[in-house]
Amino acid sequence: MHVDPKREVVQSKGGRIGMALLLIVVFLAMFAPLLTTYEPLEQTVQIFAAPSWEHPLGTNHVGQDIWSQLVYAARTSLLVGLLVAVFSTVLSALIGTSAALIGGVYDRIVMRLVDAFIIIPIIILLILLSVYFNPNLSSGPLLIGIGVLIVIAVIGISLYAVRNLGWVGMLIVCPLIALVLLSRDIIQSTGGLIIILALLCWQGGARVVRAQALSLKENAYISAVQGFGASIRYIIRRHIIPELGPLLVADFIFCVRRAVFLQAGLAFIGIGDPNVVSWGSMISDARDWIFLDVWVWWLLPAGIALSVTIVAVTLIGYSLEPALDPRLRGEVSAQN
Amino acid sequence: MFTRQNLIIYLVALLIILTLNFLLPRMMPGNPIIAIYGDVAVVQMSPELEAELTERFSLDQSLGRQFVSYWAALFRGDLGYSYAYNAPVAEVIFGRLPWTLLLAGLALVISTIMGILLGIESGWRRGKRLDGSLLTGMITLSGFPDFLLGILLLLLFAVNLQLLPLFGAESAYSDLGGFQRLADIGKHLLLPLVTLVLARVSGGYLLTRNAFIGELKEPYILLARAKGLKQETIRYRHAGRNSLLPVMTRTGVLLGLMVTGVLFVEIVFSYPGIGLATYEALTYRDYPLLQGLLLVSAICVLTANFIADLFYSKVDPRVSYAR
Repeated sequence: MHVDPKREVVQSKGGRIGMALLLIVVFLAMFAPLLTTYEPLEQTVQIFAAPSWEHPLGTNHVGQDIWSQLVYAARTSLLVGLLVAVFSTVLSALIGTSAALIGGVYDRIVMRLVDAFIIIPIIILLILLSVYFNPNLSSGPLLIGIGVLIVIAVIGISLYAVRNLGWVGMLIVCPLIALVLLSRDIIQSTGGLIIILALLCWQGGARVVRAQALSLKENAYISAVQGFGASIRYIIRRHIIPELGPLLVADFIFCVRRAVFLQAGLAFIGIGDPNVVSWGSMISDARDWIFLDVWVWWLLPAGIALSVTIVAVTLIGYSLEPALDPRLRGEVSAQN
Repeated sequence: MFTRQNLIIYLVALLIILTLNFLLPRMMPGNPIIAIYGDVAVVQMSPELEAELTERFSLDQSLGRQFVSYWAALFRGDLGYSYAYNAPVAEVIFGRLPWTLLLAGLALVISTIMGILLGIESGWRRGKRLDGSLLTGMITLSGFPDFLLGILLLLLFAVNLQLLPLFGAESAYSDLGGFQRLADIGKHLLLPLVTLVLARVSGGYLLTRNAFIGELKEPYILLARAKGLKQETIRYRHAGRNSLLPVMTRTGVLLGLMVTGVLFVEIVFSYPGIGLATYEALTYRDYPLLQGLLLVSAICVLTANFIADLFYSKVDPRVSYAR
């Protein structure tokens, strides 16, 4: 596969626009405390204040500063999107390649599970899970476990990104690390949601990765390495994963998009920690007051911010289309 | 063609859902009656009723026994009793299902046909101005979540212009008959339908456009041009028809997600379908209803996938050869 994700993104107009829009959102998320005067959940005595110097977008029904909520919500969306994508891409890569290389009964069981999960309606499953499980991660050991997982995943992705993507890699990695460090409190209150979303999102990617790994496996040099006695783990680590890079980058982008969508939707119907500011819950709150004029500076900005983020990710993903389009390269049939 | 492999996938999916439905409430610490029926129901419950329910689900017995009686209830068509609606769960769900099918079915058909037509026209004019603006517009549109589109349309047409009704599927207590009732239902349907079509059309459009552009590069198109066939014939009969496959595959997947995909739009427009029932069950913590809804949506998904599979082999003969 000779697709360079960096070149694909930079050379297409859509990819450049997407990058620019996403950078704005990342900028808002990173410098949220410097851009706002009030805490997002801090309640003032003024409710439904019109926009002014003090409150650039006015205040909501309990007197919280809407501008501050808008800016801090960028952290929630980006963090959930990025972390879900990190976990689910890692899962897709590991499960997809191992199914392709080990084959046999293992392959069949894993692929049937993947197919089964693809047809289960995720949103209903999420609702049911959220009713019974508290999405908070208040318990210590679980939080530490997730912290360790995040650190490992972020280091792995950074190494890959910086080595193979150059400055674009740095652009992706630095904000990711900064965001994770800045928003530890959000991880604590949405960690459960992130894990559930990741567990429900890896299947599609695993199928694509498996198909590609099957065709890579046919290359002569893989048999040569096997002839020298290389183990499956060695082959996955040294040959398959690096070759799959561009595919994984594209998969990553689509996972981000999906997770941002799902998080907004769940917050909209009131699932998740009510103390986490997010665009979805802002839209949901503002919906109760659409008969007043407040929607102009409350609902609209939140909606636009959410859409801009998703459009940005979509544009980047769309510019990576060649990396995902099977017609652009020979591929062993996905079903057998 | 329906194969054994597909059957296994469907059974696995159904089993996952049923097991979750069974296990989740029973894994909760504390009184299982509360976990199954919710706090509100238990407060109103008499000790006799509690004893009867315990007996009915065999809650005092082993997990294996409970599983058997759970299945036995399912086979009787007994999904439990909804306390928020004061009616059997099955009755609530089947009263709501027609509205969802009407809304979701129409939206699926319209958005697919629009997506295909726009995709073909846009791909035919690749690089021209119309293609460029359609492509940009569609990608932008795909960034809007359906609930946001719905609220914006609601604000514009129902709140500000007051042209269309704000909520519901028909006017309450109106006693309209015949055509007037149909017109009333149509009026209520319009906004949710437009929202869903707008939210869905971009997917079909992008797929068709890509496939169509790929198809235009094939040698048989060159041959068709050389034969002097009319532009329209090449566009629709040759390239257009052959670029339908990816869209059809996607429509099959969407057919499966039809019932759950309208969740947000039904909430925004208070449209009395399955989605709104899910939201209400969530708000009132009506657990039996929620579980029944999950089960019914899952069965809808599996049925729709089954139909889609049957359909694929008709559209694409390669599917049945491949197996």
